[in-house]
Amino acid sequence: MFSLLYRMVRDRALAEDLAQETFIKVLNGIKSYRPEFKFSSWIFKIANNAAIDHLRRKSIDTLSLDGAPSAETPEQMRATSLQLGDRTESPLAEVENRELGTAIERAIARLRPEYRSCILLRHVEGYSYEEIADTLELPLGTVKTYIHRARNELRGYLEDRRD
Amino acid sequence: MTDISMHLNTDEIELWAQGLLPAARAMHLADCSLCRVEAERERKVILELVQLPKFAPRAGFADRVMAQVKVPTPSGDWTA
Repeated sequence: MFSLLYRMVRDRALAEDLAQETFIKVLNGIKSYRPEFKFSSWIFKIANNAAIDHLRRKSIDTLSLDGAPSAETPEQMRATSLQLGDRTESPLAEVENRELGTAIERAIARLRPEYRSCILLRHVEGYSYEEIADTLELPLGTVKTYIHRARNELRGYLEDRRD
Repeated sequence: MTDISMHLNTDEIELWAQGLLPAARAMHLADCSLCRVEAERERKVILELVQLPKFAPRAGFADRVMAQVKVPTPSGDWTA
């Protein structure tokens, strides 16, 4: 669950805060748990909602390495792009750069948050399409579409890098 | 019954990449370079994804969480 949060927000300290918030919600709200749900799915659902809420609140879905979607000029794109190499002064930032600096991690960071959740649940956490649909409360067809699009985009990013 | 000459769909390509596609459908790849190329590309990205490391929070995380969880006392009250 921490891995999902970390890859969603790409900030260790923030991911830890969100993980803490998730577990506190889970443990304090245990009476509202419905046993027809898989317990781990319930936790992932709360964690994912926390990450998505945060990204929406802070508009960090503009965290794209290429800059904010609203950026129209090269200057605006540079100003709003994620500069992984710019934070070498902080030891934590160095750890983050090392952990999330690989091509595949950078490609994941470029995905829309909804695609990111789905692809991480599918291939990193090993969830089935049905479990993802239940966890994220999305129609099964939407989950399949998101995952196929996400993989397509990832392939594109990774192949561009290799060319 | 599925025609062996039919191209693999995205679900079947994912199954193949995970080694789960029934042999009857997997045979199509031997004859179809289009599907073979597509399946290989898909397999590469899936492999990269499944090999991603798991991360863990810093030491003491559980203690920090439990410090904020309300625990029922013997008298029935809740304490943080």
